[in-house]
Amino acid sequence: MKAGLFIATAALYAIACILYLSQLTRGSDKAPRMPGTVFVAALGAHLAFLLLESPSPGELPLADIAQILSVSSFGIGIAFLLASYRMNVTILGAFVAPLSLMLFLASGLGSSYAPVPPRVESVMLTLHIVANVMGLVAFALAFVSGFAYLLQERLLRRRQLTGAFQRLPSLGVLDTIGLRSVLVGFPLLTFGMVSGTFWLVRSGGSQFYVSQALGLVAWAIFAGVIVLRVAAGWQGRKAAVGTMLGFLFTLLVLAGYAVRAAGGGA
Amino acid sequence: MRDFVVVGLSHRTAPVEVRERLAVAPQDLERELREIAAHARLEEALLISTCNRVELYATSANPLQATQEAKQTLAKRLGDAAGDEVLYQERGIDVVRHLFRVASSLDSLVVGEPQILGQVKEAFDAATEAGTVGTLLGRCFTQAFATAKRVRNETGIAEGTVSVSSIACELAKKIFGNLEGRRTLLLGAGEMGESAARSLRQTGTHLHVINRSEERAQALAESCDGRAVPYEHLTTELVEADVVIASTASPKFILTPQLMKGVVRTRRHRPLFIIDIAVPRDVDPRVGNMDNVFVYDVDDLQQVAEENLAVRAREAALAEHIVEDEVESFLTWRRSLELAPTIVALRKRFGQVAEEELRRALPRLQSLSEPDRAVLEAMSRSLVNKLLHQPMTELKAGAGAPDGALLIDAVRRLFALSEEEARPSETSTQPIAEGKVTQLTAAATGPTGESK
Repeated sequence: MKAGLFIATAALYAIACILYLSQLTRGSDKAPRMPGTVFVAALGAHLAFLLLESPSPGELPLADIAQILSVSSFGIGIAFLLASYRMNVTILGAFVAPLSLMLFLASGLGSSYAPVPPRVESVMLTLHIVANVMGLVAFALAFVSGFAYLLQERLLRRRQLTGAFQRLPSLGVLDTIGLRSVLVGFPLLTFGMVSGTFWLVRSGGSQFYVSQALGLVAWAIFAGVIVLRVAAGWQGRKAAVGTMLGFLFTLLVLAGYAVRAAGGGA
Repeated sequence: MRDFVVVGLSHRTAPVEVRERLAVAPQDLERELREIAAHARLEEALLISTCNRVELYATSANPLQATQEAKQTLAKRLGDAAGDEVLYQERGIDVVRHLFRVASSLDSLVVGEPQILGQVKEAFDAATEAGTVGTLLGRCFTQAFATAKRVRNETGIAEGTVSVSSIACELAKKIFGNLEGRRTLLLGAGEMGESAARSLRQTGTHLHVINRSEERAQALAESCDGRAVPYEHLTTELVEADVVIASTASPKFILTPQLMKGVVRTRRHRPLFIIDIAVPRDVDPRVGNMDNVFVYDVDDLQQVAEENLAVRAREAALAEHIVEDEVESFLTWRRSLELAPTIVALRKRFGQVAEEELRRALPRLQSLSEPDRAVLEAMSRSLVNKLLHQPMTELKAGAGAPDGALLIDAVRRLFALSEEEARPSETSTQPIAEGKVTQLTAAATGPTGESK
């Protein structure tokens, strides 16, 4: 049952990827709502999968790194739907869907991950994880819009104005999404880091892990992007590159946890 | 037999000084239409008048004569200066095809331009108001709108703009998103620059004009609803503008990297879109490498226009298939309006109902003897015949009249007779196919080869 649902979800994500990408490159206008419909179906299957994973009704399955990845992937999909509804940027699904698929598949490797030990029942831990997942979701949107910005700017500078250029949103809109997402994600990340450290200290651990270091780097990058945007008027390409870099570091944090969990170390 | 006719001229056959003599102002359309219809004795008439074409669509029971009269009416308006060789004409199904192509913007000067569909719709509304649209033109135009919509949705014929001004606007939108409240700076007084500035002004940007000659700047600003600014304020204006259109006659670069470096710094990296329409160029190409500054020169824009035109030409081939498809479906409807198949279908429908009811009733009447049964069957047949007698007589009498098609259409709709039942192959053996029956025109069954 669970395995079947996992495969169905992954397959739907994959089909949505293909449909979105073909819409971006070839502009198949015959069924403009098709990719979105499939993506929503994928989210539906994903939700069912999460409900199966859920330890008790109404509780988020956030027990180990695999489940965190899965929930993040789902959150990115939902956040994208909200953003595309508000800003009319459905075509960004061409980048969101692959990202969702990758995170979801990564969560499937979870059988080899051990649950985060020690499983201390702590409100602080839950808050820490929830804040970081939400931050990750916001940064993922920022990453996607940054990626689209770089692509769109490249097309504009190379005068390749047919095809994808026509279908991608304007540079202004992409930059705005990037800025807003980082502004939402940054306080969440900050809270996540502070609460994480707090929990670590209280639960008696005092070791400094690679993940913490990577998290700090990511935090510094996002702080830098925000400061430069506000103080020096950074816009466009540089801001997009900074944002993407920050997101990659937050992914590395997760990868660090995963490696550590797989290695069995605490 | 009633058929379609079109007579007209377009950018393909006549220069503007001839076309403008035939053009009819929108407010005069209804009155002119009534006059023409009455004068040329047309049963239905519709006049499309745009800057690129004037066409009179009509139906008549005598298409040959109607073509001649319509042509004479238009030729008279043209006067002596132009012979009637600028007028073209089509008859039969070629008219339908022509209209579908016109509405889908396949016959336009700029293939795929979006205005024509609206203009055809306005012409249709005016003719409806004037009361000169009947079943045939009505159906034909409704389907033309549907065809145009299909072409628009299923092909990329309208994708990408093809004039320098609109390309500039499109690009600006792709950079800034919303143009409302942005500022355009027009530098110099070149004609192309002015037209680009006008287009941008229409999208809701503010317009500032700088020119060496302040009088010229003032005049230009007034004509484009903008503001003239003294030349000394160039740097400040560059800092505040979002789009700059450079079209001065200066032999040297005006926007140099040195100047722009300071400007970009003061702008705090806000994006700047510079359109260099001047020849020789006003903007040093190195400016285009700066962060958040996008420079397009006249060659770039021209190239975009050509690429978009090439895309449209490719897509036009697809569009022609859609048009043929729709012409075919129109023919199917047209065939259904013939008398013979309608009568056959009507009889069949009534006969079916009677038979079905008999089949249901007989098993319940088991005591019935063979002769009783025969009486019952004869009664149901005669019931059908009696009920059909009056409608049949009316149909046969009315089909030849001017609004015969309307009558047949009404019958088909009242009794839900589908168009497929009217295929000629199914009806050819029926005894009622007499001389009075409305037939397809020669044009409807194949190419006429005589319409030009």
